Amino acid sequence: MKKMRWLAVLLALVMVAAACGSDAAEETTGGDTGGDDDTEEVDVAQSGDLTFYMITHSDDGPFWSVLKRGAEAAAADVGVEMVWQGSNNDANVQAEFIDAAVAAGADGIGASLPNVDAVRPGLEAAVAAGIPVYTINSGVNDYVDLGATTHVGQTEIIAGEGSGLRFNDAGATKILCGRQEPDNGALIERCQGLANTFNGEVISEFMDLDADQTAQEAAINAALAADPDIDGFMGVGPVITMSGLRAADALGRDLTIGGFDITPELLDAIEAGDVMFTVDQQQYLQGYIPIILMYLEVTNSNTLGGGLPILTGPGFVTGDNASSVKALVEAGTR
Amino acid sequence: MSESADTADAEAVEPQSSAEKALAASAAGGDERLAYRGVFQRLFVRPEIGAIVGAAAIWAFFWAVSREFGTAGGAASILDVSATLGIMAVAVSLLMIGGEFDLSSGAATGTFAIITILLVKDVGDLGGAGLSLWVAIPLSLIIALGLGWANGTMVERTALPSFIVTLATFFILRGFKLGFSKLMIDNLTVGRISEAEGRGYEFWEPIFAFVWVRNDHQLGIRDALYTIGVVGGLALVAFALAELSFVRREKLNSGGVPVLAAGVVGVVAGILFLHNSDGVGANTVGAVIIAVAGLAAFVGFGLWRFTPQAAGGVHIKDSLPMYLGGGVVLVLLGAICAVAFDVDSQESVLDLLGFLRWPIILAVGGGFAARAYLRNDSGHTNTLQAVINVASIGIATGFGAYAFMFMTTEQGLRSILFAVFVLAGLGLLGLAATQAGRASPATRGVVLAVTAIALAGLAFFIRDQSASEKFRSELFGVLLATALVVLVWGVISTMFERRTSDHEAADNLGSLVAKIGMGAIAVGMIAKMLFTTDDELAAGVARAQFRISILWFLGFTLFATWLLGRTKFGSWIFAVGGNKQAARQIGVPAARTKTQLFMIVAVAAWLVGLLLAFRLDTVQSVAGNGLEFEYIIAAVVGGTLLTGGYGSAFGASIGAIIMAMSKQGIPSARWNSDWRFAFLGLILLTAVIANNFIRTKAEASR
Repeated sequence: MKKMRWLAVLLALVMVAAACGSDAAEETTGGDTGGDDDTEEVDVAQSGDLTFYMITHSDDGPFWSVLKRGAEAAAADVGVEMVWQGSNNDANVQAEFIDAAVAAGADGIGASLPNVDAVRPGLEAAVAAGIPVYTINSGVNDYVDLGATTHVGQTEIIAGEGSGLRFNDAGATKILCGRQEPDNGALIERCQGLANTFNGEVISEFMDLDADQTAQEAAINAALAADPDIDGFMGVGPVITMSGLRAADALGRDLTIGGFDITPELLDAIEAGDVMFTVDQQQYLQGYIPIILMYLEVTNSNTLGGGLPILTGPGFVTGDNASSVKALVEAGTR
Repeated sequence: MSESADTADAEAVEPQSSAEKALAASAAGGDERLAYRGVFQRLFVRPEIGAIVGAAAIWAFFWAVSREFGTAGGAASILDVSATLGIMAVAVSLLMIGGEFDLSSGAATGTFAIITILLVKDVGDLGGAGLSLWVAIPLSLIIALGLGWANGTMVERTALPSFIVTLATFFILRGFKLGFSKLMIDNLTVGRISEAEGRGYEFWEPIFAFVWVRNDHQLGIRDALYTIGVVGGLALVAFALAELSFVRREKLNSGGVPVLAAGVVGVVAGILFLHNSDGVGANTVGAVIIAVAGLAAFVGFGLWRFTPQAAGGVHIKDSLPMYLGGGVVLVLLGAICAVAFDVDSQESVLDLLGFLRWPIILAVGGGFAARAYLRNDSGHTNTLQAVINVASIGIATGFGAYAFMFMTTEQGLRSILFAVFVLAGLGLLGLAATQAGRASPATRGVVLAVTAIALAGLAFFIRDQSASEKFRSELFGVLLATALVVLVWGVISTMFERRTSDHEAADNLGSLVAKIGMGAIAVGMIAKMLFTTDDELAAGVARAQFRISILWFLGFTLFATWLLGRTKFGSWIFAVGGNKQAARQIGVPAARTKTQLFMIVAVAAWLVGLLLAFRLDTVQSVAGNGLEFEYIIAAVVGGTLLTGGYGSAFGASIGAIIMAMSKQGIPSARWNSDWRFAFLGLILLTAVIANNFIRTKAEASR
């Protein structure tokens, strides 16, 4: 344990040192190569002063770590400062971060909107101050209202619709869409989207919580056994997808199975051919793209998307790309 | 059947038999604690009886509305969910009897799964433990004991409510699960325990995750085993009940033996005949042979062993005609409703009634309002308040009636009316039998015979009228068998004298035979669950698999029941939960007992954690969070008191099965899962009210 703590401290120090180092290096590089191209020098000098804030409800879990890496990569690619502030699902903390960023004179703000009302005053102040605001990950219904330039994320309905087409291709006729939470609107929308495009019947039911996988599997088992016509299962999360696979195995039923999001074991199941696909919302893009967009808006007054949201998903992981995605997951960018 | 339970009534009615005179005397003058309680009274005051009856009722309900209940696959699913829930519920019930709660127990299950995996996992750069399972399993057990000890010690030292202390532990564990898994492997799913391959995994995996696939195991003699086990076992239980209930003869009367033998031979012949014949006519003949021979066997058994009594005359008087007649009329009404309404109609009752709906709504609302007005149960003196109260009751009930008619289809109304009328009718007949027992044995015999005829009539009615194949075959058989049991009981309880005092030899023999009988039934049913036959496989029976966690569940329940009922520690648990101060004063080490209880819960969580880890291979960091309330609910449904000092470990295991059935029943019946929590709430409420009722009765009869 001790060994690890030291390692973490050491790692943090190295990272801080590296960050300082690269800043210094860039500045000198800018100065050294200054003579080559005039316009480029202007841009570099300008962008070196830019600071973009990514203020999200991140819990720094595996999902958000990937998103954060995307933002870091984009900031490095275009040479801007990126400040990452995760509020760990606390809307008040997020609102405070936003106010502080506006006060600090941010050049651009990317914000997720799980709770729009808490962050509305801050973001409206930012828009009023002429700071480009982008909503990311969640907030597709509110970004226009707030005056944000655009939204970068995935809508649940469209993700569900995309998977419905996949089930059609696989020739399924009746799908059980299993949910791991009884009253989460986003999960219900995934099942609704599935029903929109799927040619057959979709049964959307709450199975059981991820916290109780035994009961989850048994509930799926019961639902499948009660209806022999079901030939497809859609899990709207990675854990319930695996529970669905186990339940089908226990009953000896051969189902077409689709899932949501990425976990190592789900990727293994896709590689083995037990699960047909999983919906990937490619959150790396939700970190990377807003930084680029802010950069272009500030430096070149470009805006992308024509006022419509920019969708990062659904991307699909199937048997064809599972192994390459797996390598990318290990690298931390998927 | 409950002469001693209702002593006040017994005095009011003229005692008929000598036995009842003795009873009345003891109730009036003797020490009531020494009053003899019959086998049914003794069963009735067990804390878990409410749970057992509830489990049977819920099973029967879901059996009726789904295809899964009653199949091996359904049983496997229910037991699968019950196992992990039940191990925890049993441990938690011990703790609750000891007067404490452990809100960290749910999160602890996931914690020990994650700890064990992290111990065996080679985490690579960060330097994982990479231990052998032979080290990791005992090590995680030691950590578990430590957690339990810490919980217990904190509760004892701080004298704070365990609710607060263990809530803190819950958050700490939750944080640790997140923190460690992310720090060590940067992931919220922790896997895999199978990485311990070559380091003990091969040995431990089957111990915690063995799976018995039913379809891979055939047993040709399974059906014979099932029939012999269930029929033989039921017969043994019935003989044992007779042994426990009736007065032995001074000298055995060998005249009964040939009758008994002939009866047994007849029953066996009847079963064989039924087995080898087909068609309704032949089946009826077989059933009649079994019924007559079964009756003969019991009469012969009674003649051989028990003291005959004067049956007395048949006295249908007082409230008896009302109960008896009311019961028969209600059963008939149920049947009429089943015929009158269309079984296939999905039309809402509101549409069915047309204009008639309004008078009905008015009658219901007005009736309840009038009742509220007459009783003035709100106690309002202010006129305005009283008017508002009465009006709101009237409107609410009227609207309720409207909503009920709106939501119910004709098909639904048909089954509801049928079930309500029939159950109410049978309930009245049961009351009639109790009343009649006070009049004379012969009277009760007549009432029971009427009940048996009603049951048999119902059986044939259902076979003729029901749209459900399952009802026509299985329910028909069960009703007919019940009718036979009631008839036999009616006859022998008329012929022989009931015991009113203990008889040690008879009690011991009776309970031994009852246990053997229940064992035989269990063997028969387990054989049917675990094995399949060539015929079934040919018909394409669904795959079913049973997990070894069920055995752990069974073992842990037996251990806890033994601990609670047969050891000094068990008595201490009841003592510290009932009144800690008093327990301490009579020399019970209260603090130590409670700490040990927390440790038992932690060890149970460790066991469940290992079951999870080996089963899933990868464990979520959220695993188990929030399940502690399910454990508490299961314990409460099983008859354990929230306030401590009363309860049963066996009841908690039944409570877990009830929870599992209600979880499984909704998807099995293909109902909308949105209603699941409403259903769970109703079950919890019903269970608590029923348990409360039983406990009040139990305390009154003590």
